Amino acid sequence: MRFIFITVVKEMKRRFNDPGGMISAIMIPLAIGFLMASVMGGGGGQPSIRAQLLVTDLDDSFVSQGILSALGQDQIADMIVVEKVDHQAGQRRINDGDGSGHLVIPEGFGKAWLEREDVALQLTVNPSQSISPRLIREMLESLLDLGDYLHKVFGEELKIIANSLDSSELVGISTSVFSSNITDKISGIADLIFPPAITVEDITPQPENVSVSFALLMFPGILVMAAFFAANGQSTNFWTEKEKGTLGRWVASPNAFFSFWLAQWFTAMLLTAVVAVPIMLAGFLYLDISYEKFFTTLGWLALTGPVLFSVLSLIQVLAPSKKAGGMISTLVMFPLLMVGGSFFPTETMPKFIATIAQYTPNGRVIEPMKGYLTGEYGASGMFIHMWGIMVAALVLVLLAGLISTRKALA
Amino acid sequence: MIEVRDLQKSYGDLVAVNRVSFSAGAGTVFGLLGPNGAGKSTTISCLSGLLKPTAGTIRVGGFDLTGEAVKAKSSLGIVPQELAIYEDLSARDNLAYWGAAYGLKGDRLKQRVDHVLNRIGLMDRAGDLPKQYSGGMKRRLNFGCGLVHEPAILLLDEPTVGVDPQSRERLFDLVREEKAKGTCVLYTTHYMEEAEKLCDELAIIDHGKIIAGGTLDELRAEFGGNDIIRLTGSFEPSSVEPVIAELNAGILSLTPEVLMITISEGARVLPAVLQAISATGADIRDTRLSEPNLESLFLKLTGKELRA
Repeated sequence: MRFIFITVVKEMKRRFNDPGGMISAIMIPLAIGFLMASVMGGGGGQPSIRAQLLVTDLDDSFVSQGILSALGQDQIADMIVVEKVDHQAGQRRINDGDGSGHLVIPEGFGKAWLEREDVALQLTVNPSQSISPRLIREMLESLLDLGDYLHKVFGEELKIIANSLDSSELVGISTSVFSSNITDKISGIADLIFPPAITVEDITPQPENVSVSFALLMFPGILVMAAFFAANGQSTNFWTEKEKGTLGRWVASPNAFFSFWLAQWFTAMLLTAVVAVPIMLAGFLYLDISYEKFFTTLGWLALTGPVLFSVLSLIQVLAPSKKAGGMISTLVMFPLLMVGGSFFPTETMPKFIATIAQYTPNGRVIEPMKGYLTGEYGASGMFIHMWGIMVAALVLVLLAGLISTRKALA
Repeated sequence: MIEVRDLQKSYGDLVAVNRVSFSAGAGTVFGLLGPNGAGKSTTISCLSGLLKPTAGTIRVGGFDLTGEAVKAKSSLGIVPQELAIYEDLSARDNLAYWGAAYGLKGDRLKQRVDHVLNRIGLMDRAGDLPKQYSGGMKRRLNFGCGLVHEPAILLLDEPTVGVDPQSRERLFDLVREEKAKGTCVLYTTHYMEEAEKLCDELAIIDHGKIIAGGTLDELRAEFGGNDIIRLTGSFEPSSVEPVIAELNAGILSLTPEVLMITISEGARVLPAVLQAISATGADIRDTRLSEPNLESLFLKLTGKELRA
């Protein structure tokens, strides 16, 4: 164990004495993240990612237009982009993962609502997205609650308006009487809707306000990209040491060959942490993430990031040469980065790719971290995923050790 | 200290080392001499545990390399042919790391590192990265990494390849110092003069087989006290051969450009030899007379020159 520790220290010294690889592992993901966030218009605290709601209005009534109008109001429009589509197009697009949700306002909805008959809006959400559909659902529920209150207070007046729109004039009542009725009703409930000036001090701890920007959704992927680059450099160490002859010295020494691989694995952990720290400092500052989450996030990355090293190491030892190993690693790494959620957050991906992302090694590291950073769940919710990843990483690295031992002693 | 019995290493049908046996004791330098591809490095790789022998037994320091690998390996120091050093770690860190690999720690490790840095002449550059070193300095560091834990047995695989004369002499001194300390040194080389300078015992290896072995004197005795005459120029082999037979000389090598013969009392008969060869129409441009050496022995045994 002592020699494994000494080897890890030696490996870290080597990396610091030749820091080009580490600097690349830090700068490239930062640059890509910055470019992607800039292109997508995602700033730090600005809620720049908006849910895309496809709406099919089969009713085309005063009430249904009211819903669409409400969804187009300033504050809601900042969060939800509404696009009117016909029924078939809406269904097809949401099935293709294009859009966050598809709302169908059925024919007769407005009339039924005014008559307080049972009626339902149909909402289909995109299962590959987690945040946007939730936003849409909550917004619609709020709108429906508001509609219910409106109906209770101004039900009769709303019926009159709806009927008058059908006939293009107010029927059987003068405009002044109509206005007077509304004013009277508002006065009657003024005490309820305009409460007295009593202030209530809210001493409930406020939940952390995490604005879910595109940059925040990208951030875990950027960190894992850095871990991937660091792991790639570390995984080629097998060939470097083999070519230099230092691996031969190790095999000739009284130390077990597996300890070489364990040392490499622990080095990958440290290296992941080292490249992650500057990116995390920049990201936490830029995205205004609470620093309380800093060390748990770092711990998660350091413990789970080496799964990437394990995968790449296995590729390297299976390859017939360093050159072949490098080529195969690159061929594997970049698609994994694309699909696994480092170049694009899974929230922006078509459903089937987002599903694949869940099964990639980097996706396994990214998604729990994203859930933690966006406040979807706490640290325990993230770390519950850790053991599976660590066991897989250890098994892969031991497999790499076994194969490389057989190669070395062939 | 080293006992190798019937060592064999095959790669499919290719037999790289074929039933090689030898032994070397404490305080001796044992040389494995042979051309490139003869099987020297494969033999030394088997001895250092880098390759698994196909057959045969290896005992180092009294321990079986297969059954008691950890104990056996602990007594070995390795100086591979390639520069097995970390170029992105200082010389001091390299030595400290390989010392720790063999269990050295604390003050003892520090003392050994300082001692070896002095011995290999790198103390004043101890903190520099080897990528800033000359080739000779890297070779010395490579050597030092094998010495740092004071091994009882030192395996040197062509340690002077690509080394400048000054560094080469320094490495020879290191080998002699190790020998004087009682270390058993196994030295592979294809340079005859190195083997002649350093080795107490030799085994000549070719095509994976040991074709001759013993001390330098024992090997020279293969020539029965004859001298070697080497002529360069242009020769007609079919005309020269009968003349050599008449002179009671033995042919080591005969090509249209080179003629090497063994002959008794070479200095005395040289004028007669030159006259007889010239009479065949040969154009002799250079003549050398020497005592038998490893090169001529190798030529005698294999019919080819060692450096070829």
